[in-house]
Amino acid sequence: MSLQALQSEIERKAQEEASNILETARAEAEKIVAEANAKTANLRDERTKALRRKIDAQEKAELAIARMDRKGDLLRVKSGWTNRVFEEVEKRITKMAENGGREYNELLANLTLEGISKMNGSKFIIETSLRDKEAISNLLGTITERASKLKNDKVTLHLETLQTKTLGGAVVSTEDQVQYFNNTLEARLAAASQKLEGTIRQILFGPGDANE
Amino acid sequence: MSTDIKELQDLIAREKNAEEKVRKAKEEAQVILKQAREKAEVALGAIESDPAWEKLKQARNDEIARKKAEIREEYKRNSSSLEKIAQQNLEKAIARLYEETLRGKL
Repeated sequence: MSLQALQSEIERKAQEEASNILETARAEAEKIVAEANAKTANLRDERTKALRRKIDAQEKAELAIARMDRKGDLLRVKSGWTNRVFEEVEKRITKMAENGGREYNELLANLTLEGISKMNGSKFIIETSLRDKEAISNLLGTITERASKLKNDKVTLHLETLQTKTLGGAVVSTEDQVQYFNNTLEARLAAASQKLEGTIRQILFGPGDANE
Repeated sequence: MSTDIKELQDLIAREKNAEEKVRKAKEEAQVILKQAREKAEVALGAIESDPAWEKLKQARNDEIARKKAEIREEYKRNSSSLEKIAQQNLEKAIARLYEETLRGKL
């Protein structure tokens, strides 16, 4: 090989090696960037999905709480109206009892007779408020007569003043005070309120509301 | 200096040039790879603060707030309708409970 040819060969080889080095580096660089981009895209996708899941769960929880709160508010509204009915009935019953008169006296007699009918025996103690004691003592003859008919026996009644405050009505007990029947107006109202709570709600808010 | 020696020196100089060319190519290759790695790091680092996620969060929070407002509005409508119905039926309910309270069972 001539010297000139050798010189050319040295330059060609050097050029070829340099080109190869740069080509390989560029290819490697492209690969690094492409892999990083792919990894970034995957991570972004995963994180976006995770974020969506997190926000979905957050939305579900927040809306459930909001619905529950509103449902609670509605229940409070319903409860308010139901209580209003109970309170209004108590007011009217109180007024009716305070006004007295034939209607209330008849009720008082019936409450006493109902108490008597619920218990065994023929001797009973009738406890009422001081106000009602006066009314019932005027009716004692009639009540005793009706009670005797009910029991098919001669009934004896003894009147007492109730030691606790009451709207009206009577507590009837056997002479030995083993059995008693609380037929005061508040006891009746409490029992009726409990019994009719569902019905009252139905009347107030329409069918389907009784058990809500 | 003879012609032979001069030619040999020239050959050695060319050989050195060739080596320099390869060395520079290697250096350039290192720069190319370093830049690529930096670009990759930047791309991966950008994930930590993607503005698209902030937009997504904001959009969804707005949506949740809108749905909550809808629930509140629905409650207001239901509550108002309930109050109206209850007001209409109040006397009937009072009468029913009053009657039951005073109804004796002999």
